[in-house]
Amino acid sequence: MRPPQSGAVPGAGEERRPTPPEGWEAPRERWLSTVVSPAFGPRSVLLEVVVRLLIPSILVFSVFLLVSGHDRPGGGFAGGLVASMAFVLRYIAGGRHELAVGMPLKPNTLLAAGLLLAAVMAGLPLIGGAPLLDVFYRTFELPLFGEVKVASYLFFEAGVFLIVVGLVLSVVAALGARMEAEEEEARAGHRRRRRARSGGGER
Amino acid sequence: MLLPVILALHAATAVLLPPLVRLLGARAFLVASLPPALSAVWALSRSPGIAAGEPAEASVPWVPALDITLDFRVDALSLAMVLLVSGVGAVIFCYSAAYFRSDQAGLARLTSVMVLFAGAMLGVVTADNLFALYVFWELTSVTSFLLVGFDQRKDAAGRAALQALITTAGAGLFMLIGFILLGQAGGTYRISELVADPPVDSPLLPVALVLVLIGAFAKSAQAPFHYWLPGAMVAPTPVSAYLHAAAMVKGGVYLIARLAPGFADADPWRVLVLAFGLATMVIGGWSALRQTDLKLLVAHGTVSQLGFLCLLAGAGTHTAAVAAIGALLAHGFFKSTLFLVVGVVDHQAGTRDIRRLNGLWRSLPVTAAAAGLAAASMAGLPPLLGFIGKEAALEAFLPGHSPELPPLAAGLELAGLVLASVLTFAYSARFWWGAFGDKRAAETDIEPVPGTDAGGEDGAEPRIPRTRATPPSAVFLAAPVLLSLCGLVLGSLPGPADAIAAAYAAPYSDHGKPYHLALWHGLSTPLLLTAVVIAAGAALFRWREAFARLQGRAPRVISAEMGYHLFLHGTYAIALSVTRRLQTGSLPAYLGIILATMLALPGVRLVTALATGEVAVPSGGDGLRLWDTPLEGVVAAVIAVTAIAALREHRRFPALILLSATGFGIAGLFVLHGAPDLALTLILVETLTTIILVFVLRRLPATFSVRAPGWPKRWMVVLSVAAGAFISVSLWLMAAARTAEPISLGYEAAAEQAGGRNLVNTILADFRALDTFGEIVVLLTAAVAVASLVLLNRRHRVVDEPSADEEQIEEEGSRR
Repeated sequence: MRPPQSGAVPGAGEERRPTPPEGWEAPRERWLSTVVSPAFGPRSVLLEVVVRLLIPSILVFSVFLLVSGHDRPGGGFAGGLVASMAFVLRYIAGGRHELAVGMPLKPNTLLAAGLLLAAVMAGLPLIGGAPLLDVFYRTFELPLFGEVKVASYLFFEAGVFLIVVGLVLSVVAALGARMEAEEEEARAGHRRRRRARSGGGER
Repeated sequence: MLLPVILALHAATAVLLPPLVRLLGARAFLVASLPPALSAVWALSRSPGIAAGEPAEASVPWVPALDITLDFRVDALSLAMVLLVSGVGAVIFCYSAAYFRSDQAGLARLTSVMVLFAGAMLGVVTADNLFALYVFWELTSVTSFLLVGFDQRKDAAGRAALQALITTAGAGLFMLIGFILLGQAGGTYRISELVADPPVDSPLLPVALVLVLIGAFAKSAQAPFHYWLPGAMVAPTPVSAYLHAAAMVKGGVYLIARLAPGFADADPWRVLVLAFGLATMVIGGWSALRQTDLKLLVAHGTVSQLGFLCLLAGAGTHTAAVAAIGALLAHGFFKSTLFLVVGVVDHQAGTRDIRRLNGLWRSLPVTAAAAGLAAASMAGLPPLLGFIGKEAALEAFLPGHSPELPPLAAGLELAGLVLASVLTFAYSARFWWGAFGDKRAAETDIEPVPGTDAGGEDGAEPRIPRTRATPPSAVFLAAPVLLSLCGLVLGSLPGPADAIAAAYAAPYSDHGKPYHLALWHGLSTPLLLTAVVIAAGAALFRWREAFARLQGRAPRVISAEMGYHLFLHGTYAIALSVTRRLQTGSLPAYLGIILATMLALPGVRLVTALATGEVAVPSGGDGLRLWDTPLEGVVAAVIAVTAIAALREHRRFPALILLSATGFGIAGLFVLHGAPDLALTLILVETLTTIILVFVLRRLPATFSVRAPGWPKRWMVVLSVAAGAFISVSLWLMAAARTAEPISLGYEAAAEQAGGRNLVNTILADFRALDTFGEIVVLLTAAVAVASLVLLNRRHRVVDEPSADEEQIEEEGSRR
């Protein structure tokens, strides 16, 4: 996720503000990356702040679910759902531009990468003469963490994780963002037509 | 053996060619000619042994479980075909280097597909396993599709390519069924074994033979499938010369010739081959005489010749088999020469329309000579190979010559052969005259020389200017000259051709009268018939205008192409009407169909099983209890209340919230039953679907359309109640009907061994990881499908279409 930037995106709204606050009390960063036009209804600062604060924790939690899935509830599917929830939240709070900025990769790239990872992990045991999808793991002693187990299914699950994120993102992009863009376009067209009609009436 | 290596070399060359084309331009065709040339040289080097009756064999295991081996076997017939496919192929590749411009769009694709085709065709004629043959066969169909549709800017090219593909590959499916039946009946899929020991007693054999013949007829453009061949003439000329003269169309002839030694005596082989071959021969000759485009003339002539070849190859007598090899070689040489000549004329004179060409032989003398040789061979004039083949054919069908053929049938065939030969002579003459001859003004569309058109008084006709042509380069000419000389040399010295023919015809009994390909058989009936054919053909050419008028007056029979279009439209219409009935676009209808099917099949079965006592109703005390903890009751009440409320809610948004509340309730049940993994996943999925449905809800009206009370509504209620009852009852019965140990008992130990303590996840990622893999592929497919379906209505897609479509969409939009 990109850190919030200052002034990276030129905002049309800034010039209209009467008197910008000065000195130390002027905000240097936005809560979210882009000029905000949320997916639903009016802009809500509360939502933006909460989303900004929550997203890192949600993403970390999703990775936790992925990694701990083998011994505790979780796994690649659940982890992927949680991670995609973070992006959905971002979309709800900030609209489709925010979603576009927040996507680490295009949904199709995510899907492809996930399938590739899973397929490679499925086929890897074949090289060693083991059957397809055979699981191999090794346990390490790490300082601070203690005993850490690295198993091949973890990478397989990571593939599942990526595919789930890709799926949700492409559905959100298709159903949410695309429709939003179309509505905007339709509204613009409607406005243009009305303006043309009223212009014709004045003449 | 070298053959599999040569086949692999074709594929490797096809991969390497695109970068080479970028480097060398059209000269890359010279590189492309190397694999076929190598294969021809290899075949020639093995030819003495093969002609002596020792076929070259090789075998590569492919799918051992299905008994599919890539068996290769090169006997006399295959040798003749390899010489045509690879030898003529190599020559045509060299010709292509001069034919195509280096800046031709898509040249890289063309070269590499052509080499692929050459490899596939080589596979067809050398494979000794029915499945391997089928695979190579369809590979030629696919590559031919790409080659015919090479010019993507032409609509006609795409249509013709599709037509050829549907016809040949569609009939190929019948052939595959025929192959399987044949293999099942004979107990082996090796062609050589099947032919040596045909399963003549099997009741499946007639069906299998008919199916195989359908495939062969379609590939070799036999009536009524012949329409695709003239259509495919939109392909570049070298492609036509290769695919439609030397190689692909011979596939069907080859298959017939391959199977005939074993199956010619089995009904209904001979009847079908003789009848369809003869019909094709006459139809092709008749329509060739109507053509004014040189290439189409040659194409219709090819149809006629293919009929001739099929009937020779399938007749199943010694002399016919000898004639088949002679005619096969002759046709390969002269027909590709003629196509190449058309290419030269088109390239140098700028047109290939008979009505726009006049006196071209003066500016293209060498081309005209080569074309003359080829046309004479096609017409059956001595001392060319075509003459020898035709003599043998006439001899084969003399009544009483072969006891396999009843005299009446032989006489009928002979009459047909003579008629078709007359037509062949006439269109051969028409070809040469049309391309190179001097014409009268009335026969062309060329503007007469000014000042000569008024000279009507003394009966002198207006003079027309000769067509000018730039002289072709030596490389460009080399190919047609070489191929036409092949016909002359093999005609004058028929020894090699006869050796191959004798080796191929060896399985047939010659009844003490062995027939050999030779120029002179003494003063025999066939020679007399040839004289008649030449005289009649010359007369037909002499009075061509009168004959053309006759043809114009002849009633047009229903064309086979109409049949093809009717078939296509019928298929579309049926598909559309089925889709319209099943895919109504109404979700309640889909759900209704699914639920009704569930009730009709497993539901009815369950009820009958309960009624007959097959399934015992568990007794009351059998673990059936109200709840484990009262909390379950509370959650169940929440589920029930929200479900009923969702039913009664008429606004979409509250209904959605109620529905997800039901889902969360079920997740609660999972938690209470000790399945945290399921609960976690369900909660996440429930949340996400709710959010995504909210996106969609923006587009929908705020309330559901109110369904008027009446039978449809009552039916829906009945269906839903029945489906719910069925699910509950069957779950209850299933849980009580366990007879075996649950497999989950061993899972705990297995999970421990796999190094995981979460059983569900160990199952997903280890025990049943292949299932999981399949599921993620489904997820991926769904993601791509959803995205592309939703984005289908994108505006900029519509912009590309003609504006009429856009208006229609606008109209529809306003109606809504």
